[in-house]
Amino acid sequence: MDGRLANRWRLTVNEKKFIETALASNLRIDGRNPLEYRKIIIKFGREDGSSEVQLGQTHVMGFVTGQLVQPYQDRQNEGMLLIFTEFSPMAGPSFDPGHPGESAVELGRIVDRGLRDSRAVDTESLCVLSGKLVWAIRIDLHIVDNGGNLIDAANIAALAALLTFRRPECTLGGDDGQEVIVHPPEEREPLPLIVHHLPVAITFAFLGSEGKLVVDPTHSEEAVMAGRLIATVNANGDICAIQKAGGEGVPQSAIMHCLQLASMCAISITKKINSAPWDYVFCSKSNFIL
Amino acid sequence: MEYKSSGSPVTFVDNLVVPGDVVVDLSSMTNQTIKLGGGLRQDCDAISVMKAGKLRFSKPNKYWVETSQKRYVPCVEDSVLGIVVDSKSDNFLIDIKGPALAFLPVLAFEGGTRRNIPKFEAGTLLYVRVVKANPGMNPELSCTDASGKAAEFGALKDGYMFECSTGLSRMLLSSPTCPVLEALGKKLSFEIAVGLNGRVWVNSNSPSIVIIVANAIMNSESLSGVQQKIMAEKLLQKIQVRALQL
Repeated sequence: MDGRLANRWRLTVNEKKFIETALASNLRIDGRNPLEYRKIIIKFGREDGSSEVQLGQTHVMGFVTGQLVQPYQDRQNEGMLLIFTEFSPMAGPSFDPGHPGESAVELGRIVDRGLRDSRAVDTESLCVLSGKLVWAIRIDLHIVDNGGNLIDAANIAALAALLTFRRPECTLGGDDGQEVIVHPPEEREPLPLIVHHLPVAITFAFLGSEGKLVVDPTHSEEAVMAGRLIATVNANGDICAIQKAGGEGVPQSAIMHCLQLASMCAISITKKINSAPWDYVFCSKSNFIL
Repeated sequence: MEYKSSGSPVTFVDNLVVPGDVVVDLSSMTNQTIKLGGGLRQDCDAISVMKAGKLRFSKPNKYWVETSQKRYVPCVEDSVLGIVVDSKSDNFLIDIKGPALAFLPVLAFEGGTRRNIPKFEAGTLLYVRVVKANPGMNPELSCTDASGKAAEFGALKDGYMFECSTGLSRMLLSSPTCPVLEALGKKLSFEIAVGLNGRVWVNSNSPSIVIIVANAIMNSESLSGVQQKIMAEKLLQKIQVRALQL
C-alpha cells in the first residue's frame, strides 16, 4: 500500500498558488500566452493509417484499420466507425492497465462525437453490399505520454490517421453479382476514406476564482483548474460538439468567447493536419528516392 | 577512445561506463584496499560495473559510478525536498520520490516539544534531511541538522517547485557554482532550494523571474558548461529586449 502511495504525482500548495498568481499577470509556467497552443508535431508510421502526434510533452498514437462486417439492422446502407482508447501505464503513474477509467471513456466519447455527429467521415461510401457487408473503420488511440490536454492530441492523431488510411477496393462479381471480391493492394490501388471536414477539438481550462481562461492546459494546469470546456469546431466555423463535464460554472459570455477562440485555433490546426503528410515525407525523410 | 589494458583504472575514470565493463583488475594491484561505492561490484578479481554512468575516483582509494535518473534512492545525510502526504500522531508522512513514503517525526524540529507541533497540510513543501535510509524500510527524515539547529530546513513558502533528474540536482549543487545559475544570478535576483531527490524550488518577487529561472534550469539538463552560459545569456537578452519594448 505504501508503494502505491509513494509513486503518485503530487501537487504542492506552492505550485497551485504560483500558477494562479502568474496567470494574474498573463504568464504561464512554460512561458506561453494564455491563448497560445503548444507546438504540434505530426509523424506517420510505415503502414497506411498510423499517426503519431506530439503536443509539447503529450504523446498520442493513432491507428486506423478496416474490416468487412455485417451492418446494423437499422442502418443497412452505412458503414461503421468505432473508436477505442488505451491509456498506457507508461503515460502516467495514475493509469492502470486493463479496464479504461473515466477519463479514457470521456476522451473516446468526445472524439467519437466530433466525428460521428458532424458526419465528418462519409459512412454511406463504406457500404459494399447493402444489408450484407459494410466496412467497419476502427480507430485505436494509444496514449503514450501524458503532458496535459490528451483530448486535443488524441483528436489530431485520429484525424491524421483517418486522412492517411487506405482501404482495399471491393467490386461485386460472381455468378449472381452478389459475391464481393476484395482486391489486394498489388492488384488495385487502395482507396482513401471520404472525409468531408476535419473536426478539431480545442480544450479550454478555467483557473482560479475569477475563472481565467487558458488554451491547451499542461499537466499541472489541469491539476489546478476549476473547470474545463472542450469545443470541437471545424475550419468552416461549424461547431461540431461542446463538452463541459462538471467543474465551476461559467457565464454565457465566457462560452461564446471560447467558441470564437476555438474557431480561430481550428483554422491553423486544420492547415497543419492537412499539410502534415506532405511535410513528413518531403522534409524529414532525407533518403526518400523520388 | 583508445583502449589500454583493462587492468589500468586510469582509462575508465571520468568516462562513461556501461554494465559489464571491467574497470579494475585486482590481480594487478598488490596489497591495496579500495572502497567501492554505488554501481560497482566485485567478481573475484575483477571490479565490474552494474549501472550505466560516469566512473569517479577520489583519492586515496574510492571508486563509484555516478548515474542520473528520475527516481531517487534515499541516502543518509541527503538534503531533499519532500511533499507532505498525511500526518499521524507521531510522524508526518512525506513523499520524497523514493520507493516508499518517508517518516518525519513531529518532534524533529528545532525546539520541538509535544506542545508546539507544527501543522502541515497535505501538499506542503518541506526542505528536509534524510536521517535513516535502510533498504526495505521507510526512510526517516529530520528538519534539523546534525547538531539540532534549524539551519534553513522546514517548510518553503510561495515559489514554484518542479522536478528534474538526480544528475541535474547534483550539478546545481556542485561547487564551483553551476554555469547556468551563475549566469542567471548576475542579472536576476532569486532564491532556490535544490533537493538531491530531483526536486528544485525557485522563488523571487516577480512570477516572470521564477518562470525564466525554472525554464532555464530545466533546459540545461543535457548542456555542457559553455552551452549553459550561452543559453542563459540568450534568454536574458530576449527578456531585456522585451522589457525595453514595453
